[in-house]
Amino acid sequence: MSFLKPRKDDHPKVHEAYEVMQDGRMDRREFVRVAALVGVSAGAAYAMAGIPSPAWALENSPFPADDPKAKKGGKLRVGMQVQKMEDSATYNWVEMSNQSRHVVEYLSMTGPDNITRPMLAESWTPSKDLKTWTFKLRKGVMWHNGEELVADHVVWNIKRWLTPGLGTSNVGLATFGSMRKDSGKKDAKGKPIMVGIENAVEALDKHTVRFNLSKPVLSVPEDCYHYPAAILHPSFKKPLSDNLIGTGPYEMVELEVGKKCVLRRITKMKNGKPFTYWGGAVYLDEIQYFNFSSENQLAALASNSVDAINEFSIEQMALATSLPIDIHPARTARTLCLRMQISKKPFDNHKLRQALVTAADNAKIKNLVYPKGGDVGQNHHVAPVHPEYFPLPPLKRDVAKAKKLLAEAGYPNGIELTIDVGNTDGPWHQTVCEALRDQVKEAGINLKINVMPASKYWEVWDKTPFGATAWTHRALGTMVMGLGYRTGVPWNETHFASKEFDDALSDAEATFDVEERRKKMEKVQKLLQDAAVMVLPLFRPVYNASAKKVNGYLMHPTGFHQFNKVWVA
Amino acid sequence: MLKLIARRLLQMVLIMAVVSLILFVVFDSDKFKKQIATAELGGFSVAAMSDHDYQKWLKDKGLDVPVYERYAQWVGGLLQGDFGKSFEKNAPVSKVMGERLLNTGILAFWVFALMIPLSLIFGIVAGMKEGSFQDRSVSFIAVFTTSIPEIATAILLTVFIGLGLGWLPAKSAMTGGWNSVELILPVLTLVLYDFGYVARMTRASMAEVMTSQYIRTAVLKGIPYARVIMRHALRNALIAPFTVIVLQLNWLLSGVVVVEVFFQFNGFGKMLLEAALFGDVYVIQAATLVAVFVAVLSQIISDVGYTFLNPRIRFS
Repeated sequence: MSFLKPRKDDHPKVHEAYEVMQDGRMDRREFVRVAALVGVSAGAAYAMAGIPSPAWALENSPFPADDPKAKKGGKLRVGMQVQKMEDSATYNWVEMSNQSRHVVEYLSMTGPDNITRPMLAESWTPSKDLKTWTFKLRKGVMWHNGEELVADHVVWNIKRWLTPGLGTSNVGLATFGSMRKDSGKKDAKGKPIMVGIENAVEALDKHTVRFNLSKPVLSVPEDCYHYPAAILHPSFKKPLSDNLIGTGPYEMVELEVGKKCVLRRITKMKNGKPFTYWGGAVYLDEIQYFNFSSENQLAALASNSVDAINEFSIEQMALATSLPIDIHPARTARTLCLRMQISKKPFDNHKLRQALVTAADNAKIKNLVYPKGGDVGQNHHVAPVHPEYFPLPPLKRDVAKAKKLLAEAGYPNGIELTIDVGNTDGPWHQTVCEALRDQVKEAGINLKINVMPASKYWEVWDKTPFGATAWTHRALGTMVMGLGYRTGVPWNETHFASKEFDDALSDAEATFDVEERRKKMEKVQKLLQDAAVMVLPLFRPVYNASAKKVNGYLMHPTGFHQFNKVWVA
Repeated sequence: MLKLIARRLLQMVLIMAVVSLILFVVFDSDKFKKQIATAELGGFSVAAMSDHDYQKWLKDKGLDVPVYERYAQWVGGLLQGDFGKSFEKNAPVSKVMGERLLNTGILAFWVFALMIPLSLIFGIVAGMKEGSFQDRSVSFIAVFTTSIPEIATAILLTVFIGLGLGWLPAKSAMTGGWNSVELILPVLTLVLYDFGYVARMTRASMAEVMTSQYIRTAVLKGIPYARVIMRHALRNALIAPFTVIVLQLNWLLSGVVVVEVFFQFNGFGKMLLEAALFGDVYVIQAATLVAVFVAVLSQIISDVGYTFLNPRIRFS
C-alpha cells in the first residue's frame, strides 16, 4: 500500500482535505471522492488516503481493471424497458441513457464506489473559488465517423443544453444552472426567460474546455455524469437513434421501442479504418436489451429469456432469493417523500402537518417495507449514505401529542386527507401510504389513498396538495436539498420557503471541509424537519440480478449500466 | 344481403369519422398536450420549463397547429395509407401497428383453434342431457374457469408451470425470435377464461333445442340418438354460440390487454395500453379505427352467418 502526500501543484482543496483527513475529521473514502472531484486521479487519491485501490481504480481510466479470466465475445441479454431515443439531452429515464451509454460517452464517470473519474476528459482543474473549471480532453478519442473528439464538440453540446426551450434537466443541475442568466424577458405566465451566459463555456485550445460559472460549484464532475449529459457529435439530428455517432465501444444496430435495442461492438469506423477504443478492452460482442417492465424482469430472468435484469423491487425479493441467480444490492439515497404542499389548504396549517408527522412511525414503515437494508428517514431528505449527513435524534411516534396538535390546528374531531400515489417506483409506494394511513388513523386523521397510473402522477407531482413522490439517488445531501427545498426552485414540490434555511444551505454548500459541512447540515436538516413538510420514512436499497454465468455485473446506485468489463462464461 | 353489407360499411365509415374527430379534439386539449410533454420529457423536466420553453417544445412537435388543420392533415395522410408517426415509438404507426396486429392475430388464431372445438364439444355434451352428471361436471368446470379473472389464471399458470415446474417460459417477449412455445401460457390463459363462457352458451342453446318438439318427434320415431343430435339438433343449437364466438373477435383484439401485458407479449392490446399511458394520439387513432373495423366486420360475419344457419331469418 502506498502513502502519498498531495503534490504542490494539486488544488488547495486537496491539501485542505488531506489535513482534515489526517486530523481524523474526514472519512478516508470521502477524501478519495473529494480529491477525485478536484482533479486528482483516483489511484493517487486512494494512495493518499492509505487505503487499497478497488479493482476499478485503474490509473487514468474510469473502468475496472481487466479480468484475466474473462472470456471475450458473446452476447449479454438484459431485461429492461426499451425506450425511444429522441435526444440524449432530454432523456427522462435512466433506461434511455443505458441504451446509449456504451455508444455516446460523458466527460466524467461515477463508479459504483461513488467516486467520479475522468472519462472523455483526461483531467480537470478547478480554480480556488470553484467558479472556473478547466477540462483537458483525452487525445486520440475517435468518433465512429472517423473524426477526433475536440474541445469545440464539447462546447457545442453544452451551449445546446443552455438553449431555451430544449427541456433538458441538465439546466436544473448546479453546474449548468450556473451557466444561465435571466434574459430580462418574461414569458406569457410572467416567468423569466433564462438564456445561456456568453462564454460560460469556451474552448481554450483543441483539447481544453473551460467552464466559467456564476457561482462556486463543487459537484461539477458529478454533474457531468448526469444521465442526459452525454457528449454528442455536432452533426446530431433528432431522433438520436437514427443518427447515433459516438465515441464508445459499441454502435447501435437495432432499436424497436418497446421491444428491443441491440448494441454491437464496433470494429470499423464509417471511413473504413479500424476503430481503436480509447478505454481499452471490452469483452462482449453484443449487448441486447429486451423490453420487460420492471415487475416482469425477474420472471424473464428465471425463465432464461434474459441473462441479467435492470432492477427488481423489494416485493420480488422472496422469488429472487429462491432462484439460482446472483443478486446485486446497492445502498442509496433513493426515497419516497409523502410531501404536503404548504401553500395549499389545509396543509398551510403547520400544526396539522406536525400532527401528521408526529403520528407516523418512520422506523416501522421502513421495517415493514424493507426489513433488510435501507435506512430510516427523518423527514429531511439527507440520507445516512450522504457524506455530510448529520444524525439528528431518532423521531418518536406520539399519538397523544398528535391528537393535541390536531385539536390546536382546529380539527378536534379529526380530519380527512387524501394522498395521491402513482407507484412510480413500484407497488411499495402504496404500501408505505397504507402503513401511514393505519398509523395516523389512531390520531384522528382519516387518510384516503388515491392510486393513479405512474404517468398520470408525473403530471401532477408538483401540483397535488398531498402526494407521494419518488426521488432518485444523488451523491450529496446538499445537492438534493438545493434541488428540492430552496425557495422558488422548479422542483420545490412542497413550496417550502425559508430564508433561514436557504442561507444555512448556502453556507453548507460553500463549506469544503466535510466535518464542518456536517455540523452546518444539522441546522439545515433540523429546519426542514421542524417545518414538517413531509413524511420521508425511508431510504431504499436497490437490487438487480444476473445469471450465474454473467461476470462483473454490478448495481450502480443510480441504475447506470457500465458493461465494459462484463463477460459471459 | 349486399345492401345490408353496404349499409354496415357505410355506418363503419361514419363511426370512424366521428370517433376520430372526437379523439382529435380531446387530445388537442392542454391537458393531453401536457401529458405528452410529461411522457416525453419527464415530470421533473416539465416542472422546470418556463411557458416560453413549453410553447417552443409544442412548436417543435407540431402540436401548436390548430386542431382542424392537424385533423385535415391526418385524414389526408390516411387516404394515402399514412397513419402518422408514433410519438412514443418514433416510428410510422403503420409499421408498429402492422406487427402488433399480426402478433395478436396469431394469438387469437390459436385461442380460437383450441377454444371453439373444446367449448362446442363440452357444451353439446352437457346440453344433450340437462341435469345429468356430464352436464353438472361441464357446468362446474365452465363456471369455475370463467369465474377466475384472466390475471389470476395467468399468475397461477406462471407460478406452477412456468416458474415451479419450469416446463414453459414464463414470459412471451420472444427475445430469441419467434418461439411458439412462448405462446402456450397466454393461449392457455385465454382459452381457460373464454372456454367456459362459450361452453355455457352452447349448453344452454343445446338444452333448449333438445326440449323442442321436433327433436322429441325424431326420437319417438326411432331415429338413432346420434343421428338426431348430429342431423337435427346441432345445426339449430349452434346459432347462438356462433354469434357469441364471432363477437369474441373484438375481445381478442382489444380485450386481452391484461394477458398481453402480463406475459409481455408484444401484441395489439399491449400497444394500446402503452399508447394510452403515453398519450400517443396517432397510435390511439389508428388502433381505434382498427377496433371499429373489426367490430363492424364481426357484426357483418355474424349477420351473414346467421342467415346461413337459420334460413328463417331474412334482413330487409
